[in-house]
Parts: sequence; structure tokens; C-alpha cells
Amino acid sequence: MVDRWLRREDERLLTGAGRFVADLRVDGRLDAVFVRSEVAHGVLREVDCSAARETPGVAGAWSAADLPGLPPMPGGEPAREWPALVEDRVRYPGEALAVVLGDDRYHAEDGAARVRTRIDPLPAVVTARDAAADSVALFDGLSNVALRGEAGSPIAGEVWERAAVVVESRYRQQLLMPSPMECRTILCVPEGDRLTVWSGHQAPHRLRSELAALLDRPEESVRVVVPDTGGAFGSKSAVFPEFIVVAWLAVRLGRPVRWVEDRRESLLVATRGRGQDQHVRLAADADGRLLAYELTVEADVGAYPHLGVAFPMQTAWMATGPYTTPLVHATVRSVLTNTMITYPYRGAGRPEATSPLERTMDVLARRLDLDPAELRRRNLIPPELFPYRTPTGRTYDSGDHPAALDLALRTLGYDGWRAEQARRRADPAALPVGIGLSCYVERSGGERGSLHDYVGVEAGEDGTVVARCGAASSGQSHSTVFPALVAETLGVEPARVRLIEGDTDELPGGVGSFGSRSAQIDGAGLQHAAGLLIEEARERAARMWDLPVEETAWSEGAVHPVRGTAAMGLSELVKRTGPLRIDERYEADMAFPFGTHAAVVEVDPDLGTVRVLRLVAVDDCGRALDPAVVRGQAFGSIVQGLGQALYEGVPFGDDGVPLLANGLLDYLLPTYAEIPPIDLRETRTPTPRTPLGAKGAGESGCIGTPPAIVNAVADALRLDHPERLQMPLTPDVVWRAAA
Amino acid sequence: MKPSAFDYVAPRTVADAVDALAAGAQVLAGGQSLLLDMHLQRAHPALVADINHVPGLDELTASDGTLTVGALVRHQTFESPGAVPGPLGDLFARAVVTIAHPPIRARGTMAGSLAWAHPASEWCALAVALDAVVELRSTRGTREIPAGEYFLGPFQTAREPDELLTAVRYPLLAPDTGVAFTEHRRTGFSFAQVAVGAALTVRDGVITEARIGLANCADRPLRAHAAERTLIGAEPSSPAFTMAGEAASTEDAAPVPEPYADVDYRRHVIAVLVARTLREAAPV
Amino acid sequence: MKITLTVNDAAYPLDVEPRRVLADALRDDCGLTGTHLGCEQGVCGACTVLVDGEAVRSCLMLAVQCDGVPIRTVEGLAGPGGEPHPLQRAFSAERGLQCGFCTPGFLMLAAGALDHDPRLGDEEVADLVRSNLCRCTGYEPIRRAITRAARDHQNGQEGRHRSV
Ligand SMILES: Cc1cc2nc3c(=O)[nH]c(=O)nc-3n(C[C@H](O)[C@H](O)[C@H](O)COP(=O)(O)OP(=O)(O)OC[C@H]3O[C@@H](n4cnc5c(N)ncnc54)[C@H](O)[C@@H]3O)c2cc1C
Ligand code: FES
Ligand code: FES
Repeated sequence: MVDRWLRREDERLLTGAGRFVADLRVDGRLDAVFVRSEVAHGVLREVDCSAARETPGVAGAWSAADLPGLPPMPGGEPAREWPALVEDRVRYPGEALAVVLGDDRYHAEDGAARVRTRIDPLPAVVTARDAAADSVALFDGLSNVALRGEAGSPIAGEVWERAAVVVESRYRQQLLMPSPMECRTILCVPEGDRLTVWSGHQAPHRLRSELAALLDRPEESVRVVVPDTGGAFGSKSAVFPEFIVVAWLAVRLGRPVRWVEDRRESLLVATRGRGQDQHVRLAADADGRLLAYELTVEADVGAYPHLGVAFPMQTAWMATGPYTTPLVHATVRSVLTNTMITYPYRGAGRPEATSPLERTMDVLARRLDLDPAELRRRNLIPPELFPYRTPTGRTYDSGDHPAALDLALRTLGYDGWRAEQARRRADPAALPVGIGLSCYVERSGGERGSLHDYVGVEAGEDGTVVARCGAASSGQSHSTVFPALVAETLGVEPARVRLIEGDTDELPGGVGSFGSRSAQIDGAGLQHAAGLLIEEARERAARMWDLPVEETAWSEGAVHPVRGTAAMGLSELVKRTGPLRIDERYEADMAFPFGTHAAVVEVDPDLGTVRVLRLVAVDDCGRALDPAVVRGQAFGSIVQGLGQALYEGVPFGDDGVPLLANGLLDYLLPTYAEIPPIDLRETRTPTPRTPLGAKGAGESGCIGTPPAIVNAVADALRLDHPERLQMPLTPDVVWRAAA
Repeated sequence: MKPSAFDYVAPRTVADAVDALAAGAQVLAGGQSLLLDMHLQRAHPALVADINHVPGLDELTASDGTLTVGALVRHQTFESPGAVPGPLGDLFARAVVTIAHPPIRARGTMAGSLAWAHPASEWCALAVALDAVVELRSTRGTREIPAGEYFLGPFQTAREPDELLTAVRYPLLAPDTGVAFTEHRRTGFSFAQVAVGAALTVRDGVITEARIGLANCADRPLRAHAAERTLIGAEPSSPAFTMAGEAASTEDAAPVPEPYADVDYRRHVIAVLVARTLREAAPV
Repeated sequence: MKITLTVNDAAYPLDVEPRRVLADALRDDCGLTGTHLGCEQGVCGACTVLVDGEAVRSCLMLAVQCDGVPIRTVEGLAGPGGEPHPLQRAFSAERGLQCGFCTPGFLMLAAGALDHDPRLGDEEVADLVRSNLCRCTGYEPIRRAITRAARDHQNGQEGRHRSV
């Protein structure tokens, strides 16, 4: 039976027995539907819910005025508060004006259609650059700039003056919709003093503490459970205005209430990723040795200050990239705009760091008439320099960057493609091909303050083992990978170990799954906890057998005296000595996965279409807990990177409303028709920062693939200064750049 | 994204269907656009007439040089080139695979596409290019409208709300007609940015007949008359096709800007695509 | 309206509003929540089920259109004794799923195609995979899974339950 399914998750997900929040049946549950603003920015004059309340099947309808005391979003500033329902000013399209509860979504939507609203529109600003000018203020009398930050030190003017070459360029990292196939979900079930919250979420413990604080009740009275979750990619890691309204109403009415976001609202009001306007300067000597790099970021953080306004600092801290550039300076301005907030999306800040640097490296190579691979090789941090402290304040743990570059070139057949390129250039009938490289380094594990998690391992009388951790899977196979790791550490059959996660009643605390941290932190933590369980078992056995601990040993899931054969298994030990459970708060330092991505594209300059012929990704995430799972993550991530490079984007009308009215027919996710042959290769440099040696995995494709593809297109078109190539490289963009 | 409430009838005869329309019903054929419009709150019919149980509407017949496509003939039918005789079948088979994907094609109908009248619809562009005739039935009787006069704008046609589109008729193409269909779009799922269908007849080395249909090149499907005129009497050649492309782009088309395709880009693509399609229809 | 949905050979007598889409009737009225809604606009295919043997988007059909018509959903894919369908095995073996949200749609799409023609060629398989969206896997594992299932199906060693 066990062998039939490769992963433990598979059987239920393949037979329709998976349980996502929208699948849960709770008697008396109400469905919430939000009435949303159709304008991007404006003054709210009127919300009239009276007709909605009279609609059959509607249990109630409320505007902000009807819900005094409804708490605002956490993590903001008092002067720029983000109300859960609009009070007097709309600041992003789709912002919720009212909520209607119905006995199902159909009736709730009937009611929502009858809510009357009136908004006097104001001019809207939708890019950081426009908003930074402060000609339109989101908050009267206050600047739109929410935060300024920097990493590294300013670079003296003479460095630029003396350099043999200085390349300057501007880039836009467009807004992206993370677009998990399951949109956001929450179901709040009040029972007596307790509130149980079911949500497809990445950070259940954080959601619990935030909701408890918002509802002004003890944390223990809230339980958050994460059932099956249909993807997340960063978009399910916060508390959202809709969550507050639903939880608040559930408690107030004493009835279960749920919100299952649909795709149309998701495209309006789900958190977006990226959204940066960038300016760079890169200086090198005549041999192509990098001298200085300056990155200026204007980050669009959306309509309200929130926990994510400092996320663009990720980009600043990682600005150095994988090179030995001695002087690096990055500055950030986080600017409020009339859009839903920007929040981490797979890669979160590192794609925005890698893309401008890697694109500029190619421009520099062209300027110096150097092969782009050679230029990189001259500047990559050599293995002997690790740990390497960057001018932007990161200390990279380990790495062999040149090895990753070389493996990528070999895998691609770099020289062969260069020959093919030359052949096509000599043939006027042939479509041009281009080759693009991108070397990246990223950060995994988290930032200070979130580099820990809670883990536990418990042995049962029946011989089974339960592992617990504060992570939450949204497709990363935790239920398979973590038990296997614990089983390996304990020397027992994997089938005997099962994982419990995503339930705040099971662990005192937890951080969650984001920033590629689960394998690195929770994995290492579980291995550590299993080790502690072995120690505890040996101590108990030693006491029982009246032996010094050193005279006991552990193998194959059992403790035994060093001399002699009488082994005692875990179940026997628990029966004799009582419950055996280790709970730990495990902390580790961040790690820095790295690698090289390469792309070959063919461009039809007449139409501007780009066909990706080949992608190669070499990733180094240290020890891979389950190589096949890591490869699956890498593959999916590359396809999302392909999406950023060529297809995905949020265009706006002049009124500041996204032009995505046709949903996924406007926001184009890559389909199988767009997938080129992709080769994945690994190098393995375990992080010295945990005994496990795993670094985060799963974000690299979003980081390395986009600049590799853009560089390849620029190479195909032989563009000296490809500033006109801004992502997504839709055919019209490529055609204009080629012209 | 749920439809608002409506009443539902499933007529069993054309007469009953027409009566339902007279009572204000909106037709449900394949439902692949109607339900989408309802989900997006663009359609709020009070009454829906599901015509899927009306016998005879699914007939596809070719006789006397005319192809008659009943209202319930699904897109899918045209995927096999043998379904329709001669080059017309070939042209339809090339075009149909660019419409959505198999599960949509299993339900959606050609007549439904003509009723819906999306400016990017492949079928609509072919209907105008091929001089199709649309048959409309109401309690007031039956009338026929040439496709060239039927499309009035985005989602707007000469069909009155109480008229059932019962069939579309196409003249079959002569056996020596060369056909091609090309489409420019952003991903496998997107609607066409521009699509071009062409049918060319070359006799004694010169082009004697040319039909060029343009999808998403204006607020409605177009037949590229100006481009066709440049071809009649010309020898099939790359320069001739390029000239026709220019004519289609500057004289026939009236492109509407869209995200990722402003008017300049659209015009350029039209010129390129028309020339390419013609080249494929009549290999030089 | 009173209708009877016949899903996976079981009859579900229902009283539904005409506007109720098939997907909601299956999920909420029949309790068969394996069919998922990812877009409600025909694009993603997570809602794909077999209606009268044909793979369709259940978000773009009304429940009342399916009165008395045989429907197959992912819950009815395995054999009578719970023996997994070759597609289910192949999806697991090829890692054709991560979060599993899109999976029922791909399974039913492929099941319908295999029933029509057990000799699916590479191009037909590609056409199937192109029909639905998956945001996790990057599709290639799904393609491999369907190809493997088609091969197993033909070899006939893996049981032979037809899907409708
Ligand atoms: C994801 C997706 C992608 C798509 N991609 C494309 C594409 O690339 N190209 C393309 O052309 N189409 C595309 N479509 C639309 C699809 O082709 C539809 O099938 C078609 O537009 C309408 O046909 P239908 O039979 O489904 O009509 P329905 O949805 O049933 O009806 C559409 C409209 O026409 C009316 N109507 C239908 N039949 C009649 C009739 N006989 N008499 C009077 N009125 C009638 C209806 O009342 C309704 O207003 C796509 C649809 C989806 C969901
Ligand atoms: S939910 Fe039906 S196709 Fe997406
Ligand atoms: S496995 Fe998550 S969407 Fe396909």
C-alpha cells in the first residue's frame, strides 16, 4: 500500500479526498462577499446596505459605519491607518466598501449587487516613480514616501570618474500576481470561548496572534488550522482586511463565517509581488574587474504602510550579488501608490536584486567586448573567500560559484550555441538566437527574528513517532519529507513517523513557511529534536538498567547496552518510562543558496515573438532533503520566472484600475504550450550553519530565470543598451526594441 | 462570480425556442461565453432558453455547393478536416485549433461564436471573408443576412434579441483554392491579438480570387477588401503579398488599442501576418 | 428545479436554482469536493469533469443541464474496489502534483481522453496538458504522468476500468 504513492499527500489529493478550506462542511455557515470599489482613489460619500439586507438568503450587510470598533489592519502607522472596510477614502481598486453575508455565495452576491455606493474619484498614481513626486497624496498632508533605507556606503564620485567603463541603466520589475490556483480562504468557527480559524495559510501561528490581538482576546482562545492549501508563493502569509471582517463577524454573530476569494477579486486585491523602479550604475576596469555598483530602488508598496514596507531592503542587502565588487551601495525608497499592497512573492526581493545586476553585467560585457561568461568568471567570489562579508552587510555562508557557472555552460553546450548563433547571423533567412546567463545568490531561512521555529518529536506507546513543526505546507510535500528525515535520524521505518503541522494547538509557537525556510530551519530542527529524543531515551534506559549513559547506544530505533544485545524499542521504553516528547525552539542562521541559469531564445523580430528554446538551471541548495521534491520546486519556480520574463504583468488604465477585467484571459500564466525543454543540475555545498546542511530551495527559478531570458533576447537582437526591453517581454516590447 | 437568478426552459422544437425568445429568453448554446458573461456580471438574463435539446440543430450538411452549419454544431466537429468537404474543411480545421482548448471546443458552437461576436473570434472573421449567410428565425419569420452586414461592433450584431440564429451557410470553396490561417497571440490561452484567414485561387499563374478575413483588427471582424483588390490579377509573389499586407493594415484595418498591443504595433502585425498567411495559402 | 444528478453511478436527487453551476452542485449539494474551482471562467480547468464521457468545464455548465446525464468526477476515478486508476498511480509516480489543487481537473481531462482513445500520442498528450493550468509543477511532470498512464493503460496490466 505504502509504495503505491510516492508521497503521503498523494492518495487523498488524487482521489478527491483532499480537504481545502472551501471543502469543509460546517452547519450554519455563512458566506462573505465584499462590495468593492471600482475606482482606484476617491472619497467615499455613501454606502447604503439597506436593499441588500432585504435580499432573500442574506443574513446581513455592513459598511464600516455599521461596524464601529472593527479593528484596522495591524502593523501600520496611526496617521496612515488601513481600515478593514473603507471609512472615508478609497486608496486602491477593489478595496472593500461593505460586506454581505449570505447562506451561500449566490445569495451573498445577490445582496452585494444591491449595495449602493457613491465615490467621488481622485487622480490615481500607480507607479512608485510617479507617486514619489507627491503630486497626488494618498494621505492628505503626508508624503507618499513610507520608508527610506540603504545598504552599504555611498560611493565617491571619483570612483566613477576613474573607472574605464561605467554602465548606467534603468529597469522596471513589474508587478506580478502570485496566482496560486487556490485563492485565499478563511473559515472562522466560534464555539463557546474558542474561535477556530481554518485558512489556507503559510504562517498559522502568526495569524493566530494577530487575530487574537485584533479581536482583543487571549491567544489560547484562537486556534488556527491549515488544511490542504492550493499553493501560496508568498501570497498567503499575512492577515488581510477581509480576514479581520470575517473573524469579527463570526465572533459577533456567533456563527461560522467564511470567505473564499474568487479569481476576479484575487486579481484585484490579492497581494502583488515585485513592483520596483530601479536605476543602476556599474563601474569596471579595462579588464572587466568590477569596481563599484550602485542600485537605487523606488519600491511600490501599495496603498498603506504595512508589515511589508521594509521588504525592499531585501533587494538592497542582496545588491552585491555573487561578485567581489568592493564598493556597493543600494538605496531604497518605499512609496505608497494606489494599488493593493506589494508583499513577498516567490523570491521576494532577490529577483529584484539579481535582475538589474545580471542585466547590467551583460551590457558591460558587450561594452568591453568580453564574453559574458568570462566577465562573470573574473568576478565571481572564489570558494576560498567564504564566509564572505559583502559591502551590503550580508555574510554568505558558503559557495562555489565558478563551479555552478561552468556546469551550466557545459550542460547548455554553450560553445555549440555560440556557433549556432554565428551560423544564423550569417544567414539572412534564419531567425536570430540569443544566449543569456544569470548568476545569482539568494538568502534563505529568514531574517533576524524569524530564523527559528518550534519543532517537536514524540514517541508513542504503539511504536509510532509524531513529528511536529511550525511550518505549513502549500504543496511542498512536508508530510513526506519531514517524517523521512526524522525516521532516518531515529533509524526507524519512515511509515512509523507522521507529521503534524499547521495547527496552533499542537505547538506553543511557530513561524511558518516562507522565504525558503522550512527545510533549512524546520528540517534541521526536526533532525536536532530527533537527536535529543535519542539522548533522552538513552538516559532513561541508563537509569533503568543502572548503567552510565555512555554504556548505552542507539541504533535502528532502539536503545541497547553497549555490551550485550538486549535492545529496547521506543514503544517498550515509553510503556516503561512514560511519555517521551521533545519540544524545541530551534534557531539557525540564514544561508545563501546560489547558482547559474542560462537561456537560449529564438526571436522573430518581425512580430517580436520570443521562443525559448532551452533553459538550464544549476542550483546549489546544500543538502537536498528529498532531491526529487527539490527538483519539482525548482521546475515550478522556473516556469514562474518564465512568466515574469515574458507574459505576466498588471497593466493599468489611466484611472489607475488594472486592466484585468477578463481575469486569467488577461493575466496570462504560462501554459504547457510555453514550456521549453528545461535541464536541472545541482552542485552541493552544504551550509556549515546547521548540521543538516540544507539551504532553502524553491525560489531560485523566479530569481535566475527572468534575467537569463531577457539577456538572451538582448543577445539575439544584438542590443547595445537594451533599456527598452522591460519585462514582461511581450511581442510589442520586443518588436519596438528590435526596430 | 456567480450568475444572478434566472428562469430556465429547455425547448424541444425550434418553434418553442423561438417562442421563448419572444418572451425575452436568452439562448444557451455551448454556454462557454454566456456562463462566462454571467460569472462576470456582464449578462443578467431573466430567462434562459437551453437549445441543446432541439433536434436537428446539430446538423452539418454540404449540398449544392453550400455548407450549412446548424446552431448546435460544436467547434470540435471541425477538427477533423474531413468533416467539411474540400479546402473549406481544411481552412476550418486550421482555424479551429486556435480557438480555446479541447474541453471548451467540446461544448462551444460555431453559431454561438457568431451570436456572441467577439472582435477576436476566428469564426466571425472567416464568416465575413467567405461570404457566409446567417439564418435568423423569430416568431415574425425567417430572414437571412450576409455576414458582411451582420457584425456591427464588439458583441453587437444585426440579430434582434428575439431571433434565434438557426444556421450559418457558407459557399464551399473550389477544389483548387489554397487556404491558410495564422494567429498571433501571447500564450496558448489568450485570445488572438491578430488572426488572419485566407483563401486564394490561382489560375494560369495569376490570382483570380482572394478572400482575406481579419480577426481583432477592428471593433468587428473584417474582410480585407482593399488587400484583396491588390491581389486580383497579380502573380502570387512575396512582393505582391507584402503589398497586400500593407493594404490590409493601412486601408482595411481599424485597430483598437489594447494592453500590449497599441495601434502601431497592431498595424504592423496585421501587415506581417497577412503577407505570411497569403504566402502559406499559395506557396510561391 | 428538481433534478437528479447521476455522479459516479450514484443518484443525487436535488432541488436547485437554475443558475447553479454544475461545479457548485457537485461540491456543495452532492458533497463531492474533489472538483475544484480555480477561476470560474473556463480557463484553469481545475473544475474539469466528464459529462456523458466528455471532459468539460463544470464551471461553465448549469446543473440543470445535466439532469439524468452520467457524470464522472475524480471521486469515481478509482476502480470499484478502490484500485487506483492508472492515471492516479502515474501522477504520484511522476510527481505530477504538488499542492494538488489543479490535479482533479488534469486527471479527469486525461481520463476522458484515454477512454476515447487509449493510444494517446505525444501530440494528443501535449494538447491535453495545454488545456489546463498548474502553478506548481511546471507541467512537465504532468505530461510524463499522462504519457505513462497511457502506456500502462495500453499494456493493460493495470486493470481496465473505463471512466464512463
Ligand atoms: C477559456 C476560453 C477561451 C476561449 N477562447 C476563444 C478563442 O480563442 N476564440 C474564440 O472565438 N472564442 C473563444 N472562446 C469562446 C468560445 O469559443 C465560445 O464557445 C463561443 O464564443 C460561444 O459559443 P457557445 O456555443 O458556447 O455560446 P453561448 O455561450 O451559449 O452563447 C454566447 C452568446 O451567444 C448567444 N447565442 C448562442 N447561440 C445562439 C443562437 N443560436 N441564437 C441566438 N443567440 C445565441 C447567447 O445567448 C450568448 O449571448 C473561449 C471561451 C473560453 C471560456
Ligand atoms: S474553475 Fe472552471 S475552468 Fe477554472
Ligand atoms: S499542483 Fe498546485 S496547481 Fe498544480
